[in-house]
Amino acid sequence: MPQVSLSRGEMVLEARGITKRFPGVLANDNIDFDIKGGEIHAILGENGAGKTTLMNILFGFYQPDEGELFIGGKEVNFKSPLDAIELGIGMVHQKRKLIPAHSVIENIMLGHPHAGNILNKNKAKTEIAELSEKYGFKIDLNAKVWQLSEGQKQGVEIIKALYRGAKVLILDEPTSALSPPETKNLLESINAMAQHNLAVVPFITHKLPIVLAISDRVTVLRRGKVTAQFKTKDVTEKSLAKSMIGREVIFKLAREEVEFGNPVLQVENLSANSERGHLAIQGLSFSIREGEIFGIAGVSGNGQEELAEVLAGLRKTVGGRVLLDGEDITHHSCLKRWRKGVGYIPAERNDVGSIGDFSLTENVAMNYYFDDRYAPGGIISYQKLRTMTEELISEYGVATPGPEITAKSLSGGNLQKLILARVLSLKPRLLIANLPTQGLDVGAIEFVQNKLLQAKKDKTAILLISGDIEEALALSDWVAPIYEGEFMDIIPAKDANMDIVGAMMAGLRPKVETK
Amino acid sequence: MLELFVRSLDASTVFTIAALAELIGQRSGILNVGIEGVMLFGATLGFIVAQTTGDYLLGIIVAIAIGGIIGLIHGFFSITLGGDQVVSGKGIWIFGFGLTTYIGNPYTGPLNLPRIAKIGGASPFFYIAGALIIIVWFVLTKTSLGLKIRSVGENPSVAEVSGISVSKIRYLCVVTSGMLMGLAGAVYALDYNPVWNYNFIMGWGFIALALVFFSMWNPIILLGGSVLVGALWQLALNPQFVLPGIMSRYLWRTVPFGITIAALLVMSTKWFRTRWGAAKPEALGLPYKKE
Amino acid sequence: MKIGSYELKLEKRERISGFKATFISLISIICALLLFSLIFLEAGVNPLIGYKEIFSFAFFNPNGLPLTINRSIFILLCTCGFIIPFRAGLWNIGMVGQLYAGALGAFAVLYALGARPTPSIYIAPALGIPLMMLAAGMGGAVIGGIAGYIRGRFKVNEIVATMMINFIGFWIVAYMIKEGGPFMNPVGRSESFDLPYSLRAPQYMGLPFTLVVALLLAFLLHWFFAKTRLGYQIKAYGLNPSAARYAGINPVLIPFLVFILGGFIAGLAGYHYFGAVPGVYKIARNYLEYGDLSFYGIICGLIATGNPLAAIPISLLFGGLTNGGRFAQGKLQTGFGVDYALLGIMMITMVAFQFFYRYKIIRVKHDEEITDVGAIR
Repeated sequence: MPQVSLSRGEMVLEARGITKRFPGVLANDNIDFDIKGGEIHAILGENGAGKTTLMNILFGFYQPDEGELFIGGKEVNFKSPLDAIELGIGMVHQKRKLIPAHSVIENIMLGHPHAGNILNKNKAKTEIAELSEKYGFKIDLNAKVWQLSEGQKQGVEIIKALYRGAKVLILDEPTSALSPPETKNLLESINAMAQHNLAVVPFITHKLPIVLAISDRVTVLRRGKVTAQFKTKDVTEKSLAKSMIGREVIFKLAREEVEFGNPVLQVENLSANSERGHLAIQGLSFSIREGEIFGIAGVSGNGQEELAEVLAGLRKTVGGRVLLDGEDITHHSCLKRWRKGVGYIPAERNDVGSIGDFSLTENVAMNYYFDDRYAPGGIISYQKLRTMTEELISEYGVATPGPEITAKSLSGGNLQKLILARVLSLKPRLLIANLPTQGLDVGAIEFVQNKLLQAKKDKTAILLISGDIEEALALSDWVAPIYEGEFMDIIPAKDANMDIVGAMMAGLRPKVETK
Repeated sequence: MLELFVRSLDASTVFTIAALAELIGQRSGILNVGIEGVMLFGATLGFIVAQTTGDYLLGIIVAIAIGGIIGLIHGFFSITLGGDQVVSGKGIWIFGFGLTTYIGNPYTGPLNLPRIAKIGGASPFFYIAGALIIIVWFVLTKTSLGLKIRSVGENPSVAEVSGISVSKIRYLCVVTSGMLMGLAGAVYALDYNPVWNYNFIMGWGFIALALVFFSMWNPIILLGGSVLVGALWQLALNPQFVLPGIMSRYLWRTVPFGITIAALLVMSTKWFRTRWGAAKPEALGLPYKKE
Repeated sequence: MKIGSYELKLEKRERISGFKATFISLISIICALLLFSLIFLEAGVNPLIGYKEIFSFAFFNPNGLPLTINRSIFILLCTCGFIIPFRAGLWNIGMVGQLYAGALGAFAVLYALGARPTPSIYIAPALGIPLMMLAAGMGGAVIGGIAGYIRGRFKVNEIVATMMINFIGFWIVAYMIKEGGPFMNPVGRSESFDLPYSLRAPQYMGLPFTLVVALLLAFLLHWFFAKTRLGYQIKAYGLNPSAARYAGINPVLIPFLVFILGGFIAGLAGYHYFGAVPGVYKIARNYLEYGDLSFYGIICGLIATGNPLAAIPISLLFGGLTNGGRFAQGKLQTGFGVDYALLGIMMITMVAFQFFYRYKIIRVKHDEEITDVGAIR
């Protein structure tokens, strides 16, 4: 087994001509990539550019069809992630790979070769505390993982990788779930790692400023190929975007000014509990008028999900009132709210928004089975629904062979289009859109955002929940940064900017100047 | 009265071993609702072997072996084939129920052997069960293997990226679990109730299954639960000790089952779950397939 | 696995067609029968002769055929009782308890009408039979509803709950018909009092009218799932409970309802065997065996992949196999419990074949690309 040196500037990991095919897709096409000790080498690319495949190859989850991997100048063949881990590759996934019910120390020790037959937690604790100190992580090792914030959980994963002796650290979308101050801490830690001669490879989709702020080099992927490789100091955000997307402009939002009508949704002093029985949202009050978009910006897990569920009738309140068009609907069931014109687009489009084994027609029926026009006398007219589904498919440009196909065979973007089409076809009075563009590619994001603006023009009141400050600012009339279940403020979008909203999402209260 | 107490400890012993077996599997994420079937296999084959060879030990070994084999089958269906664990478990139960009815039928009746000698007034299996509780508790909470088992039961994909073979750990647990179920069956058929009759486990496997839920996957609480259920069962068989002449003896027989439902009901309330925390292994019953 | 220049690969199925499901089911039944031959061999019987005896008695013998059909009706009703919760993703293992409750319900009507002392009492069949059926259904529905309610409201595992209720049901029947229980036969054996002669179910060629009821129910259920609003809600809940809840489907009501409906039908199965099958007409001493027979409903429902129409021929086959098995065991002098062994082997084969409902084996030429593109994600 080749050992990885830890000296600055020496080649640590090298990939040559990596090619990987999947049925019908060439995911990685002849990719070259290398990284030296003490270097931060970012990999940039859109969803579907082949980042995930490359990442999976680098840490041994997939084996490349062609091409070679070298570690410390010697060729290696990873049969499983375990081989990669043993040779010093550490992987920090975007989706947390931790066990919430276990303590931090147990999570870090899991699978460690020196954990011993009988766990020696005390010895491990001293070693781990040293590591944390060195790279600037502050985590209580005895805490259960579910008690930690997103940033701390990520820290645990990084420490876990380092504790197992990682020399190359692969980070998948490292800042996607972090608040701005947490992001700052992470970047500092990454710099500290580079200073100690570790090699760091962040994979990033959208956040170009992060790439510029942190990396020494950047490799851009598009459609499975390397389109460019830069020294970071030589590039700008614009040139990166161009080589990533292949064209200049990213967003064309058809935003028009719309006159606001009567208030549709009024929320007074609303509170609700989380799954674990703690207060998830407390004392929220706001209202949304016809044609208005109310944007809630926040790092996930600050009560947005619970708020959306309360408004959709899927979660009980512990206090406060919800009024729709002046009528108290606080205790109405979910079905009753659908009937009254509350449309909800959930964040989990596969697990909640659709039924994978149902056909597209049957999925559209999720919003129509209770409608007497489509189910007279309790008998569902699948013929009518099929016609409607076909119309929605063509109107929204859902790429599918037909309405009989199952929902699980649609891509994320197409599925989201279908859900959006279904909910908007009800012409809702209020639309709750929870992370409607999360995980979509640029084209689909643009489409969804324009459809929301279209609905706004049609006098729908819209509650937009977003983790992306830019999106919240671009679409909303009002922005409410949410932190630990409370609104930090409700600001007119024209008075808000990235810095103010970012700070508020992290629980700070900067002064807002009105224009 | 003392005799009743000893009998109820004997019953508790069977419940403890069976429920502990189920608990081991469940902590690794494998639900085996076929526990009754595995016990029937262990009980029937153990009984037949002991009856024909006159050797208790051989009977017990055979029971453990058949339990391991059935555990392996359950593992194959639910780990390798990634099937629905409930379907497989149901299958194993009905398979055991059907086949042992046929196999055991010629041996219907009591065992022609002297009863297994008591040690200190209790059955030797009583001490074995106690030792098993301590061993399982120690392995699960204090050792690296235990951490692996718990992790696989909580989140197999996390365990896999930490370099643990989910399949190996699950097979290990499901086979060990099956062996102990077989042993539980043998203890029932050779010590507690050495009279073969078809389907003579009488739902004990299902009660053991419920006991695992009741124990919140903790071997120590499980011991307490088993002792209670054992006593309850003995009292239901001999109602004259508590409330002579109140109810028909048949109706008394329903009491342990009714109380099990009531216990499950209390445990499932929101009040209980928020107060005592959900200890259920997150990945319980979910097939795991490497992506 | 590689064979020559071809490689066999497994591929996940998107959705299985009815035709393919039928094909797999057929193969699984054949495999089970092949495995079962081992039992014959072990008993020293030529399997071909064994099967010939089973099938000729079950389907071609004037004495055997009505017995087969009566069993099949029972299995079909149990299957329907299993299928309704199954489509909602729930396991009704409680047919045993539900059919006992059905039998007790039907006999409670007779008891109330004063039929216990003597079967010669006249009760108008137009009144008595519908009442008995209704009470049987209600009995099953109540017992099923308990499990459904605690499942929906408190998420109590329905398998454990229904199983516990089965044992409770078993002992309650024992109490009712034995040792001076209210339904005990006045002549004093461990079985219930006899059905009045006037309430014996109308029959045609030894087949009671419950045959028509069971067939109608199967067709009705098929239509129910294919077309109705409630059927849609049940299917949606079964495939994805959280998505169903999001769509406004009541997550407490659906489990409750499916168990009430399933229990009602299983209750009718209880009426059928103890109130309508010629030659029984009482809650027999061996009622446990009828409880065991209801487990074929589970296998049948699984093989039929929840399709009530497919369940019709399968329950006929199982009715024949168990009936013929009983007969063959006497005639060929194999050990007791051949039908139980068959039940077990059928079930385990069925479980193994579940795999093929989810995966298919495709043959790929070794050195070529996989041409089947599949869904692009």
